[in-house]
Amino acid sequence: MRDRGPAALGTDTTTVNSTSAIIDLRAVRYSVGGRVIFDDLDMQILPGQVTAVMGPSGTGKTTLLRLITGQAAADAGSIDVGGVAVTRASRSQLYALRQRMGMLFQNGALLTDISVFENVAFPLREHTRLPERLIRQLVLTKLQSVGLRGAAALMPAELSGGMARRVALARAIVMDPQILLYDEPFVGLDPISMGVILRLIRRFNDALGLTSIVVSHDVHEITAVADRVFLLSGGRVVAKGTPQEMRDSPSDVVKQFVGGLADGPVPFHYPASDYFEELLARDGGRYA
Amino acid sequence: MIGDFLDSLSESVERLGDTIRFLVRILVQVPSAMLRPQLIFDQIYNAGALSLVIIMLSGLFVGMVLGLQGYDLLQRFGSEDALGTAAAIGLVRELGPVVTALLFAGRAGTALASEIGLMRATDQLSAMEMMAVDPVRRVVVPRFLGGVIAMPLLAAIFSMIGIYGAQLIGVQVMHVDAGSFWSQMQASVELRDVNEGIVKSVVFGIACSLIAVYQGYYSEPTAEGVGTATTRTVVTSAVMVLFLDYLITAFFLK
Repeated sequence: MRDRGPAALGTDTTTVNSTSAIIDLRAVRYSVGGRVIFDDLDMQILPGQVTAVMGPSGTGKTTLLRLITGQAAADAGSIDVGGVAVTRASRSQLYALRQRMGMLFQNGALLTDISVFENVAFPLREHTRLPERLIRQLVLTKLQSVGLRGAAALMPAELSGGMARRVALARAIVMDPQILLYDEPFVGLDPISMGVILRLIRRFNDALGLTSIVVSHDVHEITAVADRVFLLSGGRVVAKGTPQEMRDSPSDVVKQFVGGLADGPVPFHYPASDYFEELLARDGGRYA
Repeated sequence: MIGDFLDSLSESVERLGDTIRFLVRILVQVPSAMLRPQLIFDQIYNAGALSLVIIMLSGLFVGMVLGLQGYDLLQRFGSEDALGTAAAIGLVRELGPVVTALLFAGRAGTALASEIGLMRATDQLSAMEMMAVDPVRRVVVPRFLGGVIAMPLLAAIFSMIGIYGAQLIGVQVMHVDAGSFWSQMQASVELRDVNEGIVKSVVFGIACSLIAVYQGYYSEPTAEGVGTATTRTVVTSAVMVLFLDYLITAFFLK
């Protein structure tokens, strides 16, 4: 593990937890429509690290990011991000916090009616009164760092999936955030684009002094760059540690996930009635 | 049966309440959105200028029909000279605002609802929230204002072209005397009639734009959801326009 001091944080009224975690979730409970997504979730994320959050589909990895950014409200427990108690923060406090965070959405979520350049410039134009010349310089620098300065004039519809995500990444770092969140950054990418994104995650984290959280289920890719890994299943953290510790873990859940086994503690079958009884049932069943 | 009806009634009332709350949220953000006039101009162009052709074409045909029907009706009483008055009052007070609003809902309203709905479905609105930009202020308010400003202008253009269409049939084809066509119109159309048309087109503009942005903003983030939002925009706008039209007409004739 990298040895790195806690990153300098904004001074907010709420005190930072005694552990040096920059993101601190304690006993978080979250349910939607009666379905419990998280129950008693504890997670501490250290500053300056790339933290991977893995887990089977449907375990609420994306929801976790929404809780951290305050886009969803937890039923119980506390969520503390960079000294701000997200669970009790007002709308304006959340907006102030989000200016210190960047997020890469699954498909980039670029604004489709403006060019690549304007997309990256968007946060600057909304939040600052910088002169046009400086905006231009900042945007071109960020685009250069993701290798897409030449695509500045293109529209989002003209980009490939990997390029769109790189532009979104440039947009996410243009305000120099302290925390960068990645929601499934590798989904649907070819191996080359995937490698590019992987390297960018690591490079940005180290060069810009960020704290990165990568939500993903691409085990091999993400364990290659992560400092620490959390494995979620059944609404709680079932394992955590360095990638090496995860690989050596004796736990069945970890083995199943890292090894990509179809059946195990995470069942292959969705809960159902008896197979033969259902096949032989006379009424044909109701599936509508 | 009655239970279903009551359910759908209470659901409609609930949605109406939600829409009003959304309107309040929009109005609160209007002053800060005014600081970025370019965003509003773009939307006036989208909702207004891009609807011009359909509005002008429809206005011409509606006016021509008025010319034919009006002439046929009035000549039975030997008062075809009043055609100008009849066409002008019909267009300015009633057909201009109502038909424009219905066309506006079909052309601009659906475009607004599906655009905002797609932005929701592709996480663009969430991305804005993550960048600490309020999507209501940045996306919804300029589109709402653009519609509210464009609608009365479109209605005025519709009425103007419509009167020209009525003249085209009445005077050029049916040989109503041009002098009496225009002078009777000038003499008997009052400011009150024009005001009624203006009030209607402003109210319809608010209603149609609000329904469109509301349906788009709260659409389900799926292909089906965006489709439903678009359909609802047209249906709700049409019913609302006709309902409000009755209320305003009754108010002005009181």
